[in-house]
Amino acid sequence: MKPIKRLFLLLLGLVLTLSLVQGVFAQSKQYDQVTYAYATFNNIPTTEALAGVEEAINQITREKISTEVKLVPIVIWEYSSQVSLALQGGEKLDVFQSLGDFNTAISTGMCVDLTDMLDNYAPESKDLIGEAWLAATSFEGKVYGIPTYKPIALTPMVIYRKDIADALGLDMSAVNHVNDVTEVLRKVKAAYPEMTPLAAVNTGNIGIGLTVPNVDYLTDSYFSPKGVLMNDELKVVDFYASDEFAAVTQLARTWYNEDLVMKDAATTASAAAELMASGNYFCYIASYSYPEVDTAASLEAQAGGYPLGAKIIGSAFLDTSSINALSWMVSSTSKVPEAALKFLNLTFTDKEIVNLLIYGLEGRDYVVNDDGTVRYPDGQDASTVPYTAQLSVGTLGNFFIMHSLQGTNSESLAWELEQNKNAKTSVAMGFTFDSTPVKTEYTAVVNVIEQFLPGLVCGSADPETDIPLFLQRLSEAGLDEIIAEKQAQLDHWLANK
Amino acid sequence: MNKPYNDIKVFQRVATLVLAFLTVLALLPILLIFIASISDETELIRSGYTYFPAKLSLDSYYYMVKQSGMILRAYGVTVSVAVIGTLASLLFTTALAYPLARKDFRYRNALAFFVFFTMLFNGGVVSSYIMWTRVFGIKNTLVALIVPNYLVTAFNVFLVRNYYTNSIPDALIESAQIDGAGELTIFINIMIPLAVPAIATVSLFTAIIYWNDWVNGLYYITDAKLYGIQNLLIRIMNNIQFLKVSTNVALLGTQKVDLPGTSVRMAMAVIGILPIVIIYPFVQKYFIKGVVMGAVKG
Amino acid sequence: MQTRKPRKKSNTLPLLLIASPGIFYLIVNSYLPMFGVFLAFKDFNYFKGIFGSEWNGFENFRFLFRTRDALVMTRNTLAYNAVFIVLGTAAAVLVAVLMFELGKKRRVRLFQSALLLPNLLSWVVIGFIGYAYLNADTGFINKTVYKALGLPAVSWYSTPGPWPFILVLVHLWKVTGLSSVIYMASISGIDKGIFEAAQLDGATKLQQIVRITIPMLKPTIIILTLMAIGRIFYSDFGLFYQVPQNSGRLFDVTQTIDTYVYRGLMERNDVGMSAAAALYQSLVGFLLVLSANALVRKLNPENALF
Repeated sequence: MKPIKRLFLLLLGLVLTLSLVQGVFAQSKQYDQVTYAYATFNNIPTTEALAGVEEAINQITREKISTEVKLVPIVIWEYSSQVSLALQGGEKLDVFQSLGDFNTAISTGMCVDLTDMLDNYAPESKDLIGEAWLAATSFEGKVYGIPTYKPIALTPMVIYRKDIADALGLDMSAVNHVNDVTEVLRKVKAAYPEMTPLAAVNTGNIGIGLTVPNVDYLTDSYFSPKGVLMNDELKVVDFYASDEFAAVTQLARTWYNEDLVMKDAATTASAAAELMASGNYFCYIASYSYPEVDTAASLEAQAGGYPLGAKIIGSAFLDTSSINALSWMVSSTSKVPEAALKFLNLTFTDKEIVNLLIYGLEGRDYVVNDDGTVRYPDGQDASTVPYTAQLSVGTLGNFFIMHSLQGTNSESLAWELEQNKNAKTSVAMGFTFDSTPVKTEYTAVVNVIEQFLPGLVCGSADPETDIPLFLQRLSEAGLDEIIAEKQAQLDHWLANK
Repeated sequence: MNKPYNDIKVFQRVATLVLAFLTVLALLPILLIFIASISDETELIRSGYTYFPAKLSLDSYYYMVKQSGMILRAYGVTVSVAVIGTLASLLFTTALAYPLARKDFRYRNALAFFVFFTMLFNGGVVSSYIMWTRVFGIKNTLVALIVPNYLVTAFNVFLVRNYYTNSIPDALIESAQIDGAGELTIFINIMIPLAVPAIATVSLFTAIIYWNDWVNGLYYITDAKLYGIQNLLIRIMNNIQFLKVSTNVALLGTQKVDLPGTSVRMAMAVIGILPIVIIYPFVQKYFIKGVVMGAVKG
Repeated sequence: MQTRKPRKKSNTLPLLLIASPGIFYLIVNSYLPMFGVFLAFKDFNYFKGIFGSEWNGFENFRFLFRTRDALVMTRNTLAYNAVFIVLGTAAAVLVAVLMFELGKKRRVRLFQSALLLPNLLSWVVIGFIGYAYLNADTGFINKTVYKALGLPAVSWYSTPGPWPFILVLVHLWKVTGLSSVIYMASISGIDKGIFEAAQLDGATKLQQIVRITIPMLKPTIIILTLMAIGRIFYSDFGLFYQVPQNSGRLFDVTQTIDTYVYRGLMERNDVGMSAAAALYQSLVGFLLVLSANALVRKLNPENALF
């Protein structure tokens, strides 16, 4: 027995020593570890595929910022709850983004104040984004996030079947306002009675909501405004009580009654692309940030291959939410905020890193064409390559240094940059509203809006009867309190600007 | 003595008719899904769902074949979870239900309350999640798909207890006690064999719950290798749903996303129930025997 | 014949041991996480964490009572659940009895599999099926059935009237197969001798069912009903959100507590408020079940839950 016992002890000693030694070596690596969580629309990659991309990124970050990065792609629709869960549960998550809930993130203490750290750890990003935009991700003078740098100005457009328009001899260049669309729809209906001229963009939206210009939604979603600023005035008003809203719903109702729009737009299970692909619809109205020709060309594939045209029928308008809807933040529970910010900075400045994030490994996940655009390797597409986050192009880092997918136009990039700089901006740019004091009223009002709004903007509800009822219910739910609170916060912000 | 026989026959005929009618009602909608999944996408949108599509197309299934690796792996995960989970659950549940059925157990009522209370109150998903991941570290393991929430449910415990109490006569237990049997012996030799219908019922319930579950996967699994089939399908479908809700689309600048069409979604639904449809008829033999058996004789 | 009284060893310990795995699991899975209930009374701040966040009294509960919507959602939740309990039990018992009567015939297997199938579909899919039938533009009902009958198309998702019936029907469609299994198991536990005796006495099938089977199912029915009462403030989210396709115009008849909370907190993921809603639902169900159980204990002691 003795020799075996001795052998056993020896082995034990060896194992212990080895682990100690390994521990020492592990210590000496000394890289900060940053966990970067981003939303993806594509398939979640397997751990191996992801590891390949991570390693490629780490080779760069180890050198440049002595940091190692762990990538956590999360499906878009679960992103906010997963991040919330992870932070509550004390899991390591250093960098994450807002998805339209930026002010909530601030008021519930999810992110850290970056103001003092920016100059040291992210000066390039600070210059790139600029003071004006950083104001949109600030609260009470402190910067809490960095907005995704991408084409933000959304212009309302009509996307229509070019072949039908040509056949009917329609002059689409005369269509400059949503009211002009009516005539076009009528003509199409007359020529093709079996067709429904206007398709919904998606559930509860036929696109006319965004055609009301000069509205600052004051931190609310474009499809659920609760107190807005209109026409450059600094008084918070109820959007639903405005003449513009009445006009727009009347228009929708007219279209509905004349069979110019699909009847179940408020509850449709299909999105515009599918509907257009069926060949049963002539056009739809939506807002895009790309120039007309580009938009039409890139949508053709999804819309069944029919030739499409696009016509702008409104102008872009930037309010605070347009900019901070997709903001990147460092979590308040992070143990390495400086390293996190350094990596975040790289996603805005380092071409290699951001393309690794979006497209994966060259050769394995994408190949470069002669003209500099990229495409998927032969025989593969977005759902079969080991890693791709191509659809996240507009949600992280610096859009303008990413590869362009085959088929896009490089001049468009220039146009989009221009739009960003020159689009009309709200007078309250930089103001974010903290809804915590009225959160009870918010939940009540949200439910009322969900009940009435889709029907009104899709024409299936009669504005004459429904709008008064809607306004009454809103009032009961506490919209007046919300408006009062917004005004108070707005005035306070203006006074301290 | 013909009257009783006619009586039975009539009744059986009525039963068959009613059940056949209900079966048709149950299956019609499912048939529609299946037909939609083999219909041409454009036709679906143009003329709507119908039992007699103008154009058939297997495109949706070709699309699924491309994802077949993922789907087969997901099946594997779900089947393992369902089998292991059901067995483990049975073990825990039948054991827990036993003392509840013994009228001479001192803490019978207290234990019953203890179990029932869990049905009504829970600390919320987050606390549960924190407990299981921080304290037990089960994130991204198969255990995470089996243990949280479903392993022992008050509902099943009471089902089994109910069966013990009402269908297993006390006399049996008492005579075993007189013969000197200990509690464990009684449990294994009397309760379990005689409670086969309840066990069959609970296993069916539990297996279905595990098969259908996608919530555990959503919270505890981030490694695509461990997605169960329902989890996988829900993720894909919700991706689509998300992009159709106006609020989200606006904030993303109307992403140019290529969404799987209606027909593909229907194909996914079919895929979600396919294995059960195939396997169940084989398993059912034993199941019906179990439920209908009625082991106790006067 | 042995006359000695068996020395009654206390069976408490062995029984506890047998129950211990289950008990341990429930403690870990359900009792320990109950500390999360505190969140209902706190203004949760991520930085301060669960224990560091400040208390804010009943602030998180206000939204559940504030508007007329609160009344509507409560009324809907209770009414639907009441109907579900009554009709659901009746349907499940009916199906169980019928299937049992067919005994070992092969068709029973077909029926049973078919009736179970709906339960395997997720609500998202069922929502699609509903949409396939009821969609105003291309739905099966409007385009085929109504057209054939010469009736004008109905905008189903904008007409609240028929929806209570639709939802009850869909609910029964989904659960009857599975619930009937429970009753089948109970029926099979009934001593065959009783039936044989009754038959010899000349009882018809119908009489046997009404006088024997159903009364013998009473304990099971009571237990299931008590458990259902405990969940009476909860609703099946998928049924009330997916099937009506989240159509606003139907809210008056489809809004339940769960959907209201979900919609209300969609934009503002408020941890405290969701915890408050969950606590509210639990508490009411708890009180109701205590009362119901007390009632049952008075009338029929061995059938009470505890």
